[in-house]
Amino acid sequence: MSEWMRKILESKRAMRQHLAALPFAEKLQILERLRDRQQAILDSPLGRKSRRG
Amino acid sequence: MKATLIVINKMQADGVIGHYAIGGAVGATFYLEPVATLDIDIFISFQTTGSLISLSPIYDYLTALGFQTEKEYIKIGGWPVQFLPAGNALLEEALEQAVETSVDEVRTRVMTAEHLVAIALQTGRAKDFSRILQFIESGLLISGKLDSILSRHGLLAKWEQFGNKFLKGD
Repeated sequence: MSEWMRKILESKRAMRQHLAALPFAEKLQILERLRDRQQAILDSPLGRKSRRG
Repeated sequence: MKATLIVINKMQADGVIGHYAIGGAVGATFYLEPVATLDIDIFISFQTTGSLISLSPIYDYLTALGFQTEKEYIKIGGWPVQFLPAGNALLEEALEQAVETSVDEVRTRVMTAEHLVAIALQTGRAKDFSRILQFIESGLLISGKLDSILSRHGLLAKWEQFGNKFLKGD
């Protein structure tokens, strides 16, 4: 694995650990934002098209 | 989410549901980094009428309060909520052993990490396997506790298959 890739993976792991360590209430607020974004994608023409297959 | 939990706690106080615990992706978020989900799974202990399990009292109670149903969900506080009866021994145990926590001072219960993993293994969809891998990577699981749950509920063979498929070479 290249040094460049190793750094990316390390940084990704650190970000995940940071997010996991947040208080539950704060993580739920993030979930709400993710849910709204996911719903907006599903309701978009692109989302409808992908659901039709 | 706070508004959602307040309503669910009121349902419990009013005797519409018994014990409950958050499971699924929202339950996993108690332990892990947040991963997008569209709904909340609320597992409930259940009173049966004869041999049938009916969710009607829940729907009746909530629709009378003006909440809207959407397919198998009821929208509460902006969240589509799915009420799931704890219909097997593993779910019953997960419900019984759920941990108490609170969200902005509203009390609630979340299934243990080990039970969430066992349920994900039992359910066996791609997203469940992905969640199990997240739990493993997190290093949060107590292996003795998980082994004992898997053994009690006949999931050891499935766990071995999961390991062979996803953990070989790690």
